[in-house]
Amino acid sequence: MPLLKVDGVTSGYGDMEVLRDVSLAVEPGEIVSIIGPNGAGKSTVMKVVFGQLRPWQGRVELDGRDISRLPPYEIVTLGMCYVPQVANIFTDLTVEENLELGAFALAGREVAARKARIYELFPRLKERARQEAGKMSGGERQMLAMGSALMLDPRLLLLDEPSAGLAPKMVDVIFERIIRVNRTGVAILMVEQNARESLKMAHRGYVMANGQNRVEGPGPELADDPDVARLYLGG
Amino acid sequence: MADLDPTPAPGAPAATTAPTLRERVRAALQSRTALVVIILAVLALLWWSAVARDVSAERLLSLTVWGVMLGGVIALGAIGLTLVYGVLKFPNFSHGAMVTLGAYLAFAFMAVLPAGPALRPFSFGWEFLAALVLAMPLVGVVALALDRVVYRRLRRQNASLVLFAMASLAMAFFLRSLIYLIWGPDFYFYYDARANPVLDLPLNIRVQADQLFIVVLAFAIVGLVHLLLTRTRMGKAMRATANNPDLAQIRGINTERVIAWTWIMGGALAAAGGVMYGLSSQLRPEMGFWLLLPMFAAVIMGGVGNPRGALVGALIIGVTQQVSTAFLNPAYGPAVAFALMVLTLLVRPQGLFGARGG
Repeated sequence: MPLLKVDGVTSGYGDMEVLRDVSLAVEPGEIVSIIGPNGAGKSTVMKVVFGQLRPWQGRVELDGRDISRLPPYEIVTLGMCYVPQVANIFTDLTVEENLELGAFALAGREVAARKARIYELFPRLKERARQEAGKMSGGERQMLAMGSALMLDPRLLLLDEPSAGLAPKMVDVIFERIIRVNRTGVAILMVEQNARESLKMAHRGYVMANGQNRVEGPGPELADDPDVARLYLGG
Repeated sequence: MADLDPTPAPGAPAATTAPTLRERVRAALQSRTALVVIILAVLALLWWSAVARDVSAERLLSLTVWGVMLGGVIALGAIGLTLVYGVLKFPNFSHGAMVTLGAYLAFAFMAVLPAGPALRPFSFGWEFLAALVLAMPLVGVVALALDRVVYRRLRRQNASLVLFAMASLAMAFFLRSLIYLIWGPDFYFYYDARANPVLDLPLNIRVQADQLFIVVLAFAIVGLVHLLLTRTRMGKAMRATANNPDLAQIRGINTERVIAWTWIMGGALAAAGGVMYGLSSQLRPEMGFWLLLPMFAAVIMGGVGNPRGALVGALIIGVTQQVSTAFLNPAYGPAVAFALMVLTLLVRPQGLFGARGG
């Protein structure tokens, strides 16, 4: 049984339909990448999966349980965490407080151990522990956002454009950490503009356009598929 | 670790767009330093005008100490106001009415509690303290009830800011009418004609023991609020929700619960402010309404949504209001607060502790 199953979801904002009959699945331990042009509805899929937007039709299942009516603060306790593309840290709070809030659903005791583990993954955050999060660079913010989302030890991590706005060197660092997190058994569902890179590291990929998923296949194969390349990877 | 820092985008603005002299002058005039200098200048001007009118140094000093007391009372209201703004993002015009309600509810509790002897050197007995402790959570519950009946519905409809503000104004009039209906338009004192001796402190400062009590209690409560916001789970959740409500939900925070606790806290603090204001003067149905302007002035001066700023703003407003009474009719107090608020908005709209623009 897949860890996450999105089944025939249609949704949107107000009266505007953004997604039409989108279906996808993530198996335990997989990296799944969603690519597609701007406005294809990639981020909207994430919002529906995480309860920020209700599906008009269809359903979202986590471990076979229908979660499409649950609020985000309950979904997060079920083993799935989410890093939005923008505004993904509490800028007025310190780095340490951000991490602690990542484990808000967890009662006190284990928080220190989890924090130590995140500091091991991102040593930079430890150096900045007492700093106001809003004063950090883009790369550090992305690390903090990922670190906070990992505090609950999720089985599935949703990443919305983790490389957006970062310098090429930083992109490599972030992608490398994503792979490292995945090796510990965490499944990853990510949306990326950086399509070729993200497909190469993904076990499977989905190509979206106009609110629908069009092509599905193993990540590296999609990256080499001439049709996908012509349509979505810019040559 | 410099390799982890993002390199500037190609063609990023560099020396070519160095600020012109005019821009630099404007930035300097809008800096925090400028606002601090202007506020200090206003304070100095007030003290100087008082001295110029032959007000004695002792009286001026006493007025300043009373100003700190008034500042403590304003701070209790202003902190609730700024917290509610931070979490719910609308100016709650009914906050003054909650201050009044707190004062009158404590008055009602005192009427039913057996009166004890005065706790010398203070003018009040233990029943006053009990009434304060009872009135605080009760006003918190009233604030929560208003949220459930009015504001939560507006939230669910994604109502605009104007609707929230107007609804809170309506609630202000509703609560005030309720107070008129129950207690009438008369003035009340917590203690009629009870001796409230003046203490003679060093430097010839003349202060009542009650006033010192108000200062100490106000600051103790403000300190507790600070600890609550920085050390407890709910406090951190409040700050997180104020900073980024969507992310707060994603991180597992039930923001509706945070909102509920914010109202309870805001209401309780307003009640404490009202009871202390009532103790220092008298109970009137308009008392909270007259505190509303100084409270907003303190909130804006400190930076909206910033509790520490609200405290600093409240102290400045309290001292200026009191010192101005050395040569102005006390009825002009709110006008002084208003002038400071306008000054802040002109110089630095984000206030002393506001983030934008450094």
